[in-house]
Amino acid sequence: MKKFIIAVLFISILWAADTKNFGEDLTLKETTAISTILESPEKYVDQKVMVEGRVLDVCKKRGCWITVSSDKDFESIMVKVEDGVIVFPQESKGKMARVEGVIEKIEFSMEETLAKEKHECEKEGKEFDASKVTKPDVMYRLKATGAAIEM
Amino acid sequence: MKVRKLLRDLHRDIGYLAVGLTVIFAVSGIAVNHIHDWNPNYSIETSETELNGIDTSAIEKITTQVIDKLGIEKKADGWHRVNPEVVRIFLEGMTIDYNIHTSKARIEQVNSRFLLREFNVLHLNEPKQAWTWFSDFYAVNLIFLAISGMFLLKGRKGMKWRGTWLVTIGIILPVLFLIYYQ
Repeated sequence: MKKFIIAVLFISILWAADTKNFGEDLTLKETTAISTILESPEKYVDQKVMVEGRVLDVCKKRGCWITVSSDKDFESIMVKVEDGVIVFPQESKGKMARVEGVIEKIEFSMEETLAKEKHECEKEGKEFDASKVTKPDVMYRLKATGAAIEM
Repeated sequence: MKVRKLLRDLHRDIGYLAVGLTVIFAVSGIAVNHIHDWNPNYSIETSETELNGIDTSAIEKITTQVIDKLGIEKKADGWHRVNPEVVRIFLEGMTIDYNIHTSKARIEQVNSRFLLREFNVLHLNEPKQAWTWFSDFYAVNLIFLAISGMFLLKGRKGMKWRGTWLVTIGIILPVLFLIYYQ
């Protein structure tokens, strides 16, 4: 029994050491599915949530944002942090993360939307067709205060 | 007389202590100053290749086949379907975007820059906690070095002539930049 407890403690310590915390401690107990947030994002604007998913991408210059995969295919949410307050390392790409913060709504102008779409097309090597962009874009993202990533 | 001797001794010893961190912060300072031109922490290499004959009937199959065909001896950490065309596969230090429609694989390899990454971690205070206090202590020491440095020499080579002029120039220059750029 004693050996078993020691083994469990040892494994727990190892597990804890693998999880790297960024920013403030996570306070919420329950996670909200990213697909649920993206289904009706207006409901969650200015609300504090904790999401869980795989880190799909990391800001290559400052580590000031990540995208986290949804529980559904083809979906993800952008997580933005204050520059310099939290710096996500490139090594977090592909790792599972729990992130806590507030959902915010970003409304782009038509000019910004065109520039954003053009940049996306260039990144993916696709041809940009401005006539396909008919209305300004709206983005819902998580302004994060803290994150725990299983490195 | 005794005060100047004490200042000189303290300036010397604190100066010795500050050498390591000054070099680290200065090197990192140059590196992050040019953040718009390069990534000071990582070197990121991307390449593209065509992989034909991939069975795309199941996502797990795609993942293992892509890794095998690329001759990579690593196991996938995970994957995600980014959009209907692209499957993103994660491996240690590497990401592969496989496009089901075009059969093209875009490989991104991330390598940490030797020493520079560690220097930047310290300079940009990523560890926070105790490091915040330690670097504050270092900054206070730098202030002491700057101020004590003005009083090490007496006479015309000190603050009576040359020192005053150089200190004034050192203060005026950043002020001029500030006026010019604001």
